[in-house]
Amino acid sequence: MLRRRRTAKDFAEEIKAHLELEAEELRGEGLNEEEARWKARQSFGSVRAAQERFYLKDRWEWLDRLGRDLRHGLRSLAQSPGFTITAIVTLALGMGANTAVFTVMNAVMLRSLPVADADRVVYLRTTNPPHGTGTVESAETFSYAVYDALRKQTGAMTPLMAYVPLSGTKVAVRYGAEPEEAEGDMVSGTFFSGLGVKLLRGRGFTEEDEANHAPNAVISYNYWTRRFARDPETVGNTLYVNGVGFTIVGVAAEGFEGLETGGSTDFWIPLQSRPELNAWGNPPEDGKTYIADPTWWCVRLVGRLAPGVTKTQAMARLQPVFQHAAYIGLGTPTRGEKAPVLSVVDAKGFPGYAEEYGKPLRLLMGMVGLVLVIALTNVAMLLMARNATRQREFSMKLALGAGRGDLLRQMLTESLLLVTAGGLLAWVFAVFASKALGAWAQIESSLAPDRTVLLFTLSALGVAALLLGLAPLRIALRAGPALAVKTSAATANADAGRSSTGRIFVALQMALCVVLLVGAGLLIRTLRNLEDTSLGMKVDGLVVFGVQPEIKSLAQGREWYRDLIGKLRDLPGVESVAVMMYRPGSWSSDNSDMLVDGKLPAVADGGSRTVRNNVVGPDFFTTLGVPVLAGRDFADSDTAGSPHVGIVNEEFAQRFLPNQNPLGHVIGTEDGVYSMTIVGVVKNHKFRSIDEDPIPMAWFEYAQIPIIGKMDVELRVHGEPLAILPSARKVVQQMDPALALIGPMTQRAQYDLTISNQMLFARLAGFFGLLAVMLVATGLYGSLAYRVNTRTAEIGVRMAMGARRGQVVWMILRDSLLLTAAGVVIGIPLAMMMGRALAASLYEMKPLDGPTYLLAVMGVAAVAFAASALPAYRAARIEPLIALRTE
Amino acid sequence: MATQENNDDRIALLQGTLDLLILKTLALGPCHGQGVARLIQRQSEEAFLVDHGSLYVALQRLEDRKWISAKWGVSENNRKARFYSLTAKGREQLVEKAGEWQRLTRAMSLILDASHGPKSEEA
Repeated sequence: MLRRRRTAKDFAEEIKAHLELEAEELRGEGLNEEEARWKARQSFGSVRAAQERFYLKDRWEWLDRLGRDLRHGLRSLAQSPGFTITAIVTLALGMGANTAVFTVMNAVMLRSLPVADADRVVYLRTTNPPHGTGTVESAETFSYAVYDALRKQTGAMTPLMAYVPLSGTKVAVRYGAEPEEAEGDMVSGTFFSGLGVKLLRGRGFTEEDEANHAPNAVISYNYWTRRFARDPETVGNTLYVNGVGFTIVGVAAEGFEGLETGGSTDFWIPLQSRPELNAWGNPPEDGKTYIADPTWWCVRLVGRLAPGVTKTQAMARLQPVFQHAAYIGLGTPTRGEKAPVLSVVDAKGFPGYAEEYGKPLRLLMGMVGLVLVIALTNVAMLLMARNATRQREFSMKLALGAGRGDLLRQMLTESLLLVTAGGLLAWVFAVFASKALGAWAQIESSLAPDRTVLLFTLSALGVAALLLGLAPLRIALRAGPALAVKTSAATANADAGRSSTGRIFVALQMALCVVLLVGAGLLIRTLRNLEDTSLGMKVDGLVVFGVQPEIKSLAQGREWYRDLIGKLRDLPGVESVAVMMYRPGSWSSDNSDMLVDGKLPAVADGGSRTVRNNVVGPDFFTTLGVPVLAGRDFADSDTAGSPHVGIVNEEFAQRFLPNQNPLGHVIGTEDGVYSMTIVGVVKNHKFRSIDEDPIPMAWFEYAQIPIIGKMDVELRVHGEPLAILPSARKVVQQMDPALALIGPMTQRAQYDLTISNQMLFARLAGFFGLLAVMLVATGLYGSLAYRVNTRTAEIGVRMAMGARRGQVVWMILRDSLLLTAAGVVIGIPLAMMMGRALAASLYEMKPLDGPTYLLAVMGVAAVAFAASALPAYRAARIEPLIALRTE
Repeated sequence: MATQENNDDRIALLQGTLDLLILKTLALGPCHGQGVARLIQRQSEEAFLVDHGSLYVALQRLEDRKWISAKWGVSENNRKARFYSLTAKGREQLVEKAGEWQRLTRAMSLILDASHGPKSEEA
């Protein structure tokens, strides 16, 4: 088969030799030198034509043979449409699922950040911020003072860039008349040039922009497309952010969506110093924005390593500067305090995705890999069954002089056709599936399959084609020419039917099916547990939205919110209204140590002293439906002028004031500047997310603390919660036409967001489990049906000899039950390994969950039973006489 | 196929017969292309015209089918030449094709020699 093809050069040489031999012979016949040469040449005809024919012959033969094989393959597949369609759909499902999951994995974990020379870009990290500071992410955020000091250190990063969002979620913007919301970041002047992000239109920022806090904005390609319909006139117009006008100076290149985790930034502005544009949308503390506040570590840093500088060298240069700058404005470190240590991590991938989705995606990839194995064995079994029935065809061909190579080529062509058709269908399927996946996971970056994905799919297809072509070869080769003389279908097939390979495949599939069902079961039950978790409040009937009014002074701000609360209370259908600084179920919170009765509380067993705070308005707990266990809720009578009051939860009382009546005790901030008297204790309830454990909490009254800014508003309404939004919007816009409702949704939906990953994971796992079950069912059905078919004569004989129908049915069922048992025995240990890998993703359950295993086993048993029912029924209906007559 | 002028009384080879002639020639022993052409011409008493270009393409075809095999060697007058020899498979083919050919010529001559066949009716 693998003979080296003869070269054209060799052929030309042969012609030359011929001409010389011929000329010599002619010379021998008496012609002179010239005549001999001429005659030899003349009698040869056109040398070039011969060479051309030699050259073309090979190619034509190859093409011709391929064409013949393809035609033959198509004809032979068309003869059994049931087989062909099943095989193609099975392949498409298996391949498509893999491609879809890989697409997401590629987009989330493998693709590089769309910046120039991404290998040289690093994020800055720190071990711990100094005492007395507040952070957004303790290891990832820095103070502006640190940024300012580090960027002046030359020879490490060229440049060092800072970026910080204008809000934890979205920020109020206006373009033209309508107020709306968008995601925006404040960035250093070197942001675009330093990252090497190209500007599609206009320009990026300069260092002067940063120094002057220039009112310029760059918008993302996505935002330009979505909001501005790619209008080239957008550049030069004004975008209002929190009421401040910014001139749009540029549009960033397509694909760059900022550096924020999981989100896509709509616009960027240079670092600002105005109070209404404070970092993270927080109100300035004591009138200081993030730029002037060294205790607030809220800025993220990213750098491009200076040319020729390694990470280690860069760190060596930055470390002393950092450790000094960390304490700017904080005084000297407290005794025994560990100095923060700066480090860098690669910024190659999309920020935060790998941490958030890495493990689930890898597990999903494993699961779809198993699905693909099942799908491939299914198709291989189908092919084997089909080829077994074609044994006589193969034998005949061998007898007629076809080589085994020809048979191999024919089968490879057939499997190539199947895999090609399956692959095309899979691609279509994957494009839709990955879109759905992205929507579920709320991945906003592009999920369009790229070259890596294509390569992945193509190599998977190649492997599949080879496996599927070779798997049935054994049977074909065993079909010696002698078989053709056997004229009976039954006897010809009986030899092949005894093959145990099919049975091993089925048992293996059953095992994999158990694994997938256990995985899916564990995740779905985890989701159930999460959904059934009591939030500790009456969450239905609540709707929430944010507002960010223009705040001129503390008094004016408080007045504005009092006004808003009053107006919203008057709306028909509204039962009660509450305002708060941190929206429940949004992952965000303010955490710090607190003084209890003037000192840091002693905690038994070295437990944490951390208290989670929120700032809220009157009727907060009544509105949320959180039971007040002792004392009272905040009320309208708590004002700036009245005594400072606070409310704590059970956990706070138990941990810091054990065995005492907490009411009347005084608690306060760590610096001792602000204190308040406990007037109420409320039941523990979920604050940041559904799966959090109880943690001490304390609530401040918004009108009594010296900070005011953006707030979230919670409405308890009668009837459909979202229906109140239009009239609420009207109320807000009557107070200020420039205001938008930020992130309006039901409180239930807000909490659900905190388990959206688990939801996605469980749903996908469930889907793949179902897919596996379906594939296993069709596979088992196919192979049983085929076996019954080939045993028709045998069954006929048995029944003629007096076997009862019940015995025949049992014979078939026993077969598949045995296979199921074998599959379960192999599958359970595998499933336990899977369970261990999943342990971290489970909520309130163990990986060895009895009911889940039981359900999985029952599931495959049911599948086995269902798949064998029809073949068994058919076997029982065999009429002995007819069966024997077919012989 | 052959584009050579046919201006003498030689017979152009029937398509397909060239293969048989080559096999038969090689049955006598290994030979190079030029020798095969000469031998065919000589043995047919110069009746057959062998188009040399077609001959080499035919040789290649037979080699691909593994009916003949080839090896570079040196001719009797010390020239480099590619020598062809018959394989076992080629020998089988020769027997088969020769048989076919004989059946064909026999059938042909039976018809052609039957000069007393039914006469066509003329109007």
